[in-house]
Amino acid sequence: MLDFFTIFSKGGIVLWCFQGTGVTESFTGPVNALIRSVILQERSGNNSYTHDAMSLKYKLDNEFELVFVVGFQKILTLTYVDKFIDDVQLHFRDRYKNELEQKGALALLNSHFAFEDDFKLLLREAEESSKARGPTSMRSFNASLKSQKTVKSMIETKGGDKGKEQGGKKNKNAKKEAPAAEPMKGEKAKAPASVQKTVENDNQGMTQEEIIQKKREEFIRKRMGAPVEKPSKSPKPAKEKPKGKEKRVWTLGGCSTKELDYSQSNGNGAHAAGDQGLDAQADPGLQLSSMKGDLLAVDYESSEGDEEMEVEEEDVVKRVVVADTSKKIPKKGAFGGMFGMLKGLVGSKSLSQEDMEPVLDKMRDHLIAKNVAAEIASQLCDSVAKKLEGKVMGTFTTVASTVKGALQDSLVQILQPKRRMDILRDVLDARTQRRPFVITFCGVNGVGKSTNLAKISFWLIENGITVLIAACDTFRAGAVEQLRTHQRRLNSLHPPQDHGGRPVVQLYEKGYGKDAAGIAMEAIAYARNQAFDVVLVDTAGRMQDNTPLMTALAKLIAVNMPDLVLFVGEALVGNEAVDQLVKFNQALADHSMSDKPRLIDGIVLTKFDTIDDKVGAAISMTYITGQPIVFVGTGQTYNDLRSLNARAVVGALMKA
Amino acid sequence: MEEKIDVEAGENPFQPYLDSLRKVLEDQDPIFIVGIIVSLAVVVITFVLLKYFISSKTVQSAVLLVGLSDSGKTLLFSRLLSGKFKKTQTSITDSSAPYKAKNERGSSWTLVDLPGHDSLRPQYVEKFKSAARAMVFVVDSAIFQKEVRDVAEFLYFLLTDSAVYRNVPSLIVACNKQDITMAKSAKLIRQQLEKEMNTLRVTRSAALSAQDGSAGASVHLGKKGKDFEFSQLPMKVEFLECSARGSKGEDGEADIASLEKSLAKL
Repeated sequence: MLDFFTIFSKGGIVLWCFQGTGVTESFTGPVNALIRSVILQERSGNNSYTHDAMSLKYKLDNEFELVFVVGFQKILTLTYVDKFIDDVQLHFRDRYKNELEQKGALALLNSHFAFEDDFKLLLREAEESSKARGPTSMRSFNASLKSQKTVKSMIETKGGDKGKEQGGKKNKNAKKEAPAAEPMKGEKAKAPASVQKTVENDNQGMTQEEIIQKKREEFIRKRMGAPVEKPSKSPKPAKEKPKGKEKRVWTLGGCSTKELDYSQSNGNGAHAAGDQGLDAQADPGLQLSSMKGDLLAVDYESSEGDEEMEVEEEDVVKRVVVADTSKKIPKKGAFGGMFGMLKGLVGSKSLSQEDMEPVLDKMRDHLIAKNVAAEIASQLCDSVAKKLEGKVMGTFTTVASTVKGALQDSLVQILQPKRRMDILRDVLDARTQRRPFVITFCGVNGVGKSTNLAKISFWLIENGITVLIAACDTFRAGAVEQLRTHQRRLNSLHPPQDHGGRPVVQLYEKGYGKDAAGIAMEAIAYARNQAFDVVLVDTAGRMQDNTPLMTALAKLIAVNMPDLVLFVGEALVGNEAVDQLVKFNQALADHSMSDKPRLIDGIVLTKFDTIDDKVGAAISMTYITGQPIVFVGTGQTYNDLRSLNARAVVGALMKA
Repeated sequence: MEEKIDVEAGENPFQPYLDSLRKVLEDQDPIFIVGIIVSLAVVVITFVLLKYFISSKTVQSAVLLVGLSDSGKTLLFSRLLSGKFKKTQTSITDSSAPYKAKNERGSSWTLVDLPGHDSLRPQYVEKFKSAARAMVFVVDSAIFQKEVRDVAEFLYFLLTDSAVYRNVPSLIVACNKQDITMAKSAKLIRQQLEKEMNTLRVTRSAALSAQDGSAGASVHLGKKGKDFEFSQLPMKVEFLECSARGSKGEDGEADIASLEKSLAKL
């Protein structure tokens, strides 16, 4: 049922492979796709991946630098695969420990791994174990817990108080209904359910305030009283039931009018275990359920103090126990304790999840503090944890340094462009093919599209390239005038006399309110006729969840097929970056007609001079799209255009 | 002396041993103790110096296999070392092994196979470039036409690197996958690369500087004013053809005789 199973080293040599019966196509393609999209893009948090009709699951062995991949048809749901991979990994490691432990690739090249029989055995075991379990059968009514309940207990009463969990559930009853226990028990003593109903309705006759007070008192009284009372109370209702109707006891009301007299003091100990509540009542300035008056200061000492005391006692007990055990260890191995500390530094120690947990948490918080989007920071940390699990640390390296180093490597890897980014080269190529090179700028409002468009056209004309600016922002007031001003300034910096009599920058505009896609198409045709090298298309800013505008943008891009679609994002953006990019890409993919929709090809990161070293937005954007950052805007003059230096950005990120 | 002993161990179990040691040492002549310390220091210094000298000898003893992804580096690595054909996947990390050259001297150096994937390439080249005495740049001759710009950019990046410019390792461009019928010849690849590098010289020098102010490589390849040619480079450049898979595929020998000869000359 498995299509294939491969074991290969991280250096690329396939150590052993298995191809299922009847499978003819090679598995190199899907496995390479897995490596490229998951492992290299630091998305190895979850360990499965789908490629066409095949589903791939993988496991990294970081100690011996191996990768285990299994592939099967997506439509099958095989439950045993995860455990199977783990078993195979353990088996393979144990069997070939000697060859794998040697450094250098010679051992891997020269040895032949005859793993067939072991593998078939393990596969058979896994398949049988998955069949053995079988579907769970339904329980009969008698076997279920419901049959043990009495009918009365299951009747739901109006007002929300459910008088259930009587018969078989005594303990649970006590624990659950602690605050409401007292009045409930008084009511349950009455026999018929109908009376119960009316009584409960009367219960609701009290105002909210009084109910809160009452419940509070119960809670406090419960805490004050010994916990031993709890189980003793629960058998009581069972006994009291047959007694018949009992007089209801109101706790606050008491049995006589004397108890209702509060003029002397702030209540007696008997029914004022809630000093709290009475104080609150007596306080003239405080009115609980209205918005007037001062709020009662939260005194954790008195009322919740009791509860806290109890909790604290438990904690202290626990802590004492823990301290004892830990004290014992150093006494026994005081000699070993000193060496144990050294051993932690020297010698081989393999990393486990628990070791890395605190360091990774700190790193995650650090990244988030540096403006990396929260979910991306956690995905990154998971991926680093997967990459390091089981790895043997070298001498004199601590866990923190290893994790930091691995995180740094993966950050640099994310920021490296996945393909060649040389716009000038592509422009020269397009010139030889006598067609204009079209760049489209899109993004949300106010990120700096028009400003950076002007900077890029300045860079291009400095290198002898003629530019046509297409003003497809037909919505914002002054957009066309802004571009015209830029055009005039650029032309004055590079006057037409120096460049053969024709202006280096021209603006193609059709005013306001027209269709942007149409203007873009006409601009490109004009550029082709007049032999312009580059067309820069400026679009209106739009929010990512504004569907009609996103549709319009997608239409512009789908119809005109630009060579480069650049998403302009500002470096100040935080978690929003993820949402923006995802929704933009989604819109572009949804509204294009072709099989291969044009998605965002590159990112322009603007307003980089406003952030000091909180450069996390760069990471968020490249991680989400997988596309490189092509330009970095560092100011508002024409010269403030840079390219991204991955090492510098990662250095600023990891700096404490 | 006594302070040193105290600092060494503050634990109880050590105490009796240390007391006895201290007594023994105090019985000795103080000059003798000074002599011991001086000799220890001399040993340590010699050790450090030796290590420095030995490491400087081996600082450039690696031959790197570089190239774009899927050009056949890992298979070439396997063939050179063991002669066997191995199925390969995209490399994630580097692999290295000692290689015995096929010449009279029998010199042996380290052969390092670097991953070619775009996101891993720069950092691995960064790690190994200073230790390189030669680089084998593997090119996929069959799909060269489509990839010519990427190949040229990587080669430009390698040649303008400051460490490479300083150490001047020899460069062997191995045009791999000659067993495929549509493979281009080494001469054609050389011509195409020269033309492409010519254009790249112009565009790369016009590239934007990085955001922290560090500019790109300021090394100018070849001679100014003249078209770029590989012969203008300060290092020895050689183009040869090879086929890691070999004409008979998995069972047969690889066609890497010329490569082995060049490696022997290093």
